[in-house]
Amino acid sequence: MSDKLEQELKKALRRVEPPASFAERVLARAAEEEKPGAPLRPWPQWLGMGGLRWAAASALCAALATSGLVYHHERQKQGEEAKEQLMLALRITSSKLQIAAEGVQQMNSPEENQP
Amino acid sequence: MPYIGVAAGWGNVTSAATALANQLNFEDLVREHERMVFSIAYHFLQNGAAAEEVSQDVFLALFRGLSKLESRAHVTFWLRRVTCHRSIDYARRNKNAAAEVSWDELPEQPPENNSAQRGDPMLSKRLRQVIATLPEKMRMIVILRYQEDAGLEEIAKALRIPLNTVKSTLHRAHAILREKIGAAIGEGNV
Repeated sequence: MSDKLEQELKKALRRVEPPASFAERVLARAAEEEKPGAPLRPWPQWLGMGGLRWAAASALCAALATSGLVYHHERQKQGEEAKEQLMLALRITSSKLQIAAEGVQQMNSPEENQP
Repeated sequence: MPYIGVAAGWGNVTSAATALANQLNFEDLVREHERMVFSIAYHFLQNGAAAEEVSQDVFLALFRGLSKLESRAHVTFWLRRVTCHRSIDYARRNKNAAAEVSWDELPEQPPENNSAQRGDPMLSKRLRQVIATLPEKMRMIVILRYQEDAGLEEIAKALRIPLNTVKSTLHRAHAILREKIGAAIGEGNV
């Protein structure tokens, strides 16, 4: 890299003076922010923009976790209901089979087969 | 007189700050760093009003976050980094207004105390015009390198980009600048 170009770049990009009373305007705005009636920031100062992003990400994770738990709970409840229905159906079937078996047994018993 | 009003209100401001923030007096920091912050924004945006807007926002952000900064060196690094990012954001938001800076629109350099280091004003203006046409990251790297005399690692940290990217981007910037104004500074095109 040529020294000549670097020297010219340094000259072209030398620091410049800010407009007159720049610092005073900054300090006035800062003092304005601290006045009791100054409009509040929409989020606490300690939160900041980085904190806000983290809070939003955390809220999203919490919402996803909650919806996951609710879904899991609903699925479990549906499974238990299906299991109960199946057990009821089996009990009904079992009692019907019992009746049928008794009928068959009566037909096959010696007393009933006598003329 | 506005400054008296500011000074009177300042007591309340400092009373709310932490011990460290008191140690790093905000007013002193503004006066110490106003040239650095304004110049980065000014050279990047090529517009005095826009540079003042960005610079004021940067110092207000410093005011709000002063208690989190650990030392004067940290303040300098933080100010440089935030000014770079806010200037780039500002340029993106106002892209149509600042798409291309013509020779006539390019502002004159504000007065400099040390006129011996001013150099050829026409050449400096031409250089700034070419710098204004560089892509934003490349432009900011050139500004940090030659305005702030920042090292390559410092630039990489400030802009949060890899060191090798800084090196290659600066190399390309040199090539572009040499191609466009090499003859004016007594160098042939490469």
